[in-house]
Amino acid sequence: MVAPQDIQNWISQGLENSEVTVDGDGQHFEAIIVCPDFAGKSLIQRHKMVYSALGDKMKSEIHALSMKTLTPAEL
Amino acid sequence: MLIQEQLKEIIDNNEIVLFMKGNPDFPQCGFSGRTTQILQSYDVRFASIDVLADDAVRAGIKEYSNWPTVPQLYVRGEFVGGCDIVTQLYESGELEQILKPEA
Repeated sequence: MVAPQDIQNWISQGLENSEVTVDGDGQHFEAIIVCPDFAGKSLIQRHKMVYSALGDKMKSEIHALSMKTLTPAEL
Repeated sequence: MLIQEQLKEIIDNNEIVLFMKGNPDFPQCGFSGRTTQILQSYDVRFASIDVLADDAVRAGIKEYSNWPTVPQLYVRGEFVGGCDIVTQLYESGELEQILKPEA
């Protein structure tokens, strides 16, 4: 089973300089991702950056992930 | 017809279309349910496509949008986002302008 810590690690590894917090019960997860690279990007672009950090894990291990994507300035 | 062409046709022919799990009366997933409720809070008509009814659509829409999850909202041919983004746009008030630009 996937732990929140796993998702946190996967996103942090794929997105440089990001601060990631993940909560979840093994099925549904909620992530807050703060990353300077989100600046000037639309919400869709930001979510795609996170999805690409997670790669194929979105297709298999992760059933449901909801996320908030912020720049440090938006915190 | 190829699934990608079918999806394009659905998206082009419906001003507002939600790809979801289940239907607006019986959503089969919390995220689809919440997105439906948000759309229903506006006075707009929207088409809904149940991806659970057809595996080709379920896989095809993820590829079409380059987006790994469902629900997915399209308005006038543009991909708006999934449940998180729709919720955020609803809370910020931007969704109304997207759904009803003439208002």
